[in-house]
Amino acid sequence: MSEYVIETNHLTKQYGAQKSVAELNIHVQRGRIYGLLGRNGAGKTTTMKMLLGLTQPTSGEVSIWGKPLPGNEKTLLPRIGSLIESPGFYPNLTGTENLRIFAALRGLKNQNAIQSALELVGLPYRDKKLFSQYSLGMKQRLAIALAVMHDPELLILDEPINGLDPIGIAEVRSFIRALCDERGKTILISSHILSEVALLADDIGIIDHGVLLEEEGFADLEAKSNKYVRFTVSDTNQAAEILRGVFHENQFTTQDSHTLRLDSSKISVAKIVAAFVQHGLEVSEAATVEESLEDYFKRVTGGEGIA
Amino acid sequence: MLKLISCELAKLKRKKFIPFVILSAFLFPPPLAVIMLTPRMMDRYDTKAELFDAFYQFVIGYAVELLLPCVIGVIAAMLFFMERDSDTFKNLRTIPVTSTQMIFAKIIVLFLFGLFFSLSSAVVTIFCGSLIAEVGGLGYKLWMAVEMGIFITAGTLPLVVLVVFFSKTYIFSILLCVFYSVLSLTVEGCYEVLPKFLCWMMPLPLLNIWCAGDMVRHGVRESVGRLEYLVPTTTQTVLILGVMSVLSIWLIDRLYKKRGGD
Repeated sequence: MSEYVIETNHLTKQYGAQKSVAELNIHVQRGRIYGLLGRNGAGKTTTMKMLLGLTQPTSGEVSIWGKPLPGNEKTLLPRIGSLIESPGFYPNLTGTENLRIFAALRGLKNQNAIQSALELVGLPYRDKKLFSQYSLGMKQRLAIALAVMHDPELLILDEPINGLDPIGIAEVRSFIRALCDERGKTILISSHILSEVALLADDIGIIDHGVLLEEEGFADLEAKSNKYVRFTVSDTNQAAEILRGVFHENQFTTQDSHTLRLDSSKISVAKIVAAFVQHGLEVSEAATVEESLEDYFKRVTGGEGIA
Repeated sequence: MLKLISCELAKLKRKKFIPFVILSAFLFPPPLAVIMLTPRMMDRYDTKAELFDAFYQFVIGYAVELLLPCVIGVIAAMLFFMERDSDTFKNLRTIPVTSTQMIFAKIIVLFLFGLFFSLSSAVVTIFCGSLIAEVGGLGYKLWMAVEMGIFITAGTLPLVVLVVFFSKTYIFSILLCVFYSVLSLTVEGCYEVLPKFLCWMMPLPLLNIWCAGDMVRHGVRESVGRLEYLVPTTTQTVLILGVMSVLSIWLIDRLYKKRGGD
């Protein structure tokens, strides 16, 4: 059995001369949440469509549970739940009627599956409201209900929190986490909202202009991210002398006459502050600053942040 | 496939056009019954049974033939545009339901509608006929309605190819259907001047002349006059329509896959 639930090998999608996804190699591990992070148009949705066979790759391979997707759709796809782009349902039917159609086509035997899925996302069962009358948030919830209705082992969710209000976002986040932690589901989630991915994902893939720039466990990424100590003192020149003279430390920069940034130091902050004070410096702030996911994203993509 | 068909029918729930489609099956028989009661028409037939046969042939041979292609065309537009308009292709294909399965289900639904429409028209015609004339040969007449429902639907599949090909609005599809019906009626008015090949290649004129010939064979009608040479056998009719249907379904499948990004 393959180590990975999803594995792609040099997956490429080209539209004319433009490569939407280029030589992508992603690895989604069993029972973990993989966050695919990228700006709008980075190639996240195209990648997910290729993973589901909704669009054919120009080159490269998709393998799910160790099996190539082409030719195995009938055995692989029923084990996957998905939400791709905007929610797509029949506008003349209610949410329950819509789910009933897809449940029938999936051959769901469990009569409660629809009701449970709707309850999970906080939508009423057998409501008379038509899908065309739903708000954007309700549509998104219904799409999530459709994705989880048949209790799939793998969930592929493209921007699942789009259109949800803050409470809805928190609810969806918590039940996605629960699906992974309590029921062992493997989840691939894409988002351009860094904070959401940071709160959810165990592993992160950063995609930009169709190229996967980084793929790491979130813990490794945190370890790799830059940390520094920022001192706000009465005189940075004197502080610099103390660092050089007392601690033999040169990895710092003075940002202005009062702010000094110490990039990597094994010396404890308390000792440095004590030395500053001992030498008559006024220390108004000493803060350990950790690079955020957004800072990391900016650094990796070489551009601006996305959220 | 049964599941797919029932789902296709479920998708049409609350579609405002559907009740009108069903009602249109009742559109022609009552006014035609009134026309049959005019002295000029009454004088043409010796017995009440003959009057009913003529009335039945009018409805099934002309009215159903005129309306049913429009009905099939519009329902086809609804069914074939539904996934595109509501963006549900992705949901179906990740089940997975293939485009070919979807197409077969949709085409079977079209045949069901054709059958329903034709039989409803026949039942209303028989009811109206019982009020103005003497109803006879019910078994054959109902069977004829079944055949016409299936044949006209099959003969409308080339039109469905165009509807899927152009993939435009419903209005455009309705215009195409009306054009198809009017063109067919025009050909039917020019039987004697058009080559036999052309008359047989147009599904509705082919069915019109087959229907008349079949009624003659079953003694419902005396003759088809000078058009005798044009009348195809049932086997020939089924064969021509069968080839057209297979070709149409193949083309619809290709076009639909292209639209769905298969």
